[in-house]
Amino acid sequence: MGKIIAIHSYKGGTGKTLFSVNLATTFALKGKKACLLDMDFRAPSLHAIFKVNNVECWLNDYLNGTCTIQKALVDLSEISGGKGKLLVGLANPSTEAIRDMSAKDRKWEMRALGRLLSLRNSVLDEMGMDYLIFDTSPGLQYSSINAIVSADLVFVISTIDASDVQGTKRMLCELYDLFEKKTYIILNKVLMDISSKRGKEELSERLGNTHTLPIFEIVPCFCDILKAGGTYIVAKEKPQHFFSKMLCHMTEKINHL
Amino acid sequence: MKKRDFSTKKSLLILEKIKESLEKLNQKMEVMIELQKHGKTDTENFADITAPLDVMTLLSMPDHLRKTAITVCRLGRATAEEVAQQTKRARAVESAYLNQLVLMGYLKKERQGRKAYFYVDKENKE
Repeated sequence: MGKIIAIHSYKGGTGKTLFSVNLATTFALKGKKACLLDMDFRAPSLHAIFKVNNVECWLNDYLNGTCTIQKALVDLSEISGGKGKLLVGLANPSTEAIRDMSAKDRKWEMRALGRLLSLRNSVLDEMGMDYLIFDTSPGLQYSSINAIVSADLVFVISTIDASDVQGTKRMLCELYDLFEKKTYIILNKVLMDISSKRGKEELSERLGNTHTLPIFEIVPCFCDILKAGGTYIVAKEKPQHFFSKMLCHMTEKINHL
Repeated sequence: MKKRDFSTKKSLLILEKIKESLEKLNQKMEVMIELQKHGKTDTENFADITAPLDVMTLLSMPDHLRKTAITVCRLGRATAEEVAQQTKRARAVESAYLNQLVLMGYLKKERQGRKAYFYVDKENKE
């Protein structure tokens, strides 16, 4: 049975898209069938990362009920070199579409939730995909909460920035607990050297008793990845990179969750 | 001694009844609060009220109702029995919660033979 994973964070710029893209790519490189959806309708980004501009239907159209999910998915399996499958659903980046999506009412959001919930049946069961990954918008947004409610697992990416840590803590208590979701934290851009005792102490001092939920992974800050600025997919282009190896390890851990 | 036992049993029964009545009262109060929130005072038109069951509404619901509402969202259309299987709560409990959600306007109820199905009304009635 497939898994639905939502990747979320309290603040923007924590690395949600970096993780979503590389996680989906790693799954495909390992011969799995992964489907990645850009749920950040306020600031779409997957079209730029995968360099796809002409699509028949956007994810916006699927949520509007004007096309099927199959029509809104772009097949990018060539990224995995034929090993696995990678389908991507893109959010429409035009200003008009962003404006349209931000003006939706509660009734529309309710129907959108229904359409996201039905993806378990269409994408996982009928299309036989192994993983469905939602790359969400930061904070308490309708589109993000809809994705969280529809998911089996939620990964919250947090940096060690004080406001991010505090906000994440509040979100865990006031959002995830209420929906009883399996939630795991990925600490990203960690500058402390956690291989040393001093670094570990420094990190736990910074976090205090904030993270009561299991920390899934602690990811260091990679200057070269920041410098690349999303111009290439690390897991694909640099399989020997420490980050790619961490992702491989993470995909194995996800299988056992 | 026997008399004492009897009186303890009796008071326990009374307490149980009070507890039940309080629970019923609580459920009714929740319905009234919800109706007031949405500015509906005409209690005769219960069946006509439709309120969208979106995630923000789910978040603001009391915990016990949220669990039931999310389960119906997931199942699409379900009987109290099917909801109870998912939530691991008693069928009678789920039945009460489901009917409460119908009164609040979040769910619709449809009878088919002896079975009652609950579902989210997704039709646009604006």
